[in-house]
Amino acid sequence: MDELEILKNHWKKEQYPYPKLTYAELYQMILRKSSSIVKWIFIISLLEFGFWIGISFFMKDSTFHDNMKDVNLESVLVPISIISYIVLFYFFYLFYKNYKTISATDNAKTLMENIIKTRKTVKYYVIFNLVTIIIGVIFGTYYVLNNVPMVVEKLELASANNQEFKVYASFILGVVLVLIIVIVLLILFYWLIYGLLLRRLKINYKELMKLDSN
Amino acid sequence: MSKELKHSFVELLETHQNIVHKVCRLYTNNRDAHNDLFQEITIQLWKAYPKFRGDSKFSTWMYRVGLNTAITLYRKSKRTINTQDFQGVEFKIEAQEFDDTEEQQLKLLYKAIHQLNDIEKALVFLYLEDKNYNEISETLGISEVNARVRINRVKTKLKTILNP
Repeated sequence: MDELEILKNHWKKEQYPYPKLTYAELYQMILRKSSSIVKWIFIISLLEFGFWIGISFFMKDSTFHDNMKDVNLESVLVPISIISYIVLFYFFYLFYKNYKTISATDNAKTLMENIIKTRKTVKYYVIFNLVTIIIGVIFGTYYVLNNVPMVVEKLELASANNQEFKVYASFILGVVLVLIIVIVLLILFYWLIYGLLLRRLKINYKELMKLDSN
Repeated sequence: MSKELKHSFVELLETHQNIVHKVCRLYTNNRDAHNDLFQEITIQLWKAYPKFRGDSKFSTWMYRVGLNTAITLYRKSKRTINTQDFQGVEFKIEAQEFDDTEEQQLKLLYKAIHQLNDIEKALVFLYLEDKNYNEISETLGISEVNARVRINRVKTKLKTILNP
């Protein structure tokens, strides 16, 4: 006889492994807070949005911003800030819309796909921010090297001493190094948080896809 | 949410709690983990309950939410990452119907099932609950043909685990 058939014959007759829960115990249970991965994704995503908004506020108050003002770059910064807020609202709207579609009553595949989709919205927002930072740094560096009087002076002095290349290289290298450190730290952080949180979901989704592919 | 809604839900849950216990039975291997998963399934059921329209049976609706929680939503807490076997907890089966050999066989079967992956366990659960292939495919979101093929593969896998 098939092994599973043996179990099936007994399945219905099985009693609770633990004491049957009473009405009062079950009532208490529904008042407790969920600790599902969806809840965690929601909290972490909100923190991420908060983090990037915080960064933009920090930049606004920083000396960097004042320097930009000094070199008349505010006309560029204002439209950039407006665009970044529009992008933020767009991503947040997408995130919330996707989050709302997550339902435990969907079939397993749809549920997993909706969770992954919600998560991806925030991921794309983070990628957008990183790309913006990289582009900003490239343009910023170019501008600083050519327009900031103190830097231009140093470069002219270096040029007179035939050390122009050295100064350029060390400046660019420094900027690149800081960028790399920031990006690596962020990737590590993401890998740790989402790697742990979504590992099981990803394994099961892959398994489900495999199941449905042949 | 209203008191009446809570009351009607808890009453239904009390009657059908065996389904939740059975899901936990397949997905966990110790009492703490069982309780944790039971708690999370209960919360997910309650969250989804206002949208339960009664066009499917409450028990069928419970399978889906229960399995979805076990496979996808449940975040294993530290204490549930435990390799301790389920042997310490034995399901009581009406004694007169089984002899020792059968009980032993069942114990081994559960042990083998715990070695399956989460999706295979879901297939086993739905099969044991006597769900037809259409229901299995709808619950998991796979085709009916694949549901049939996979159940057979799980059976073979269990055979291999039990008779290496």
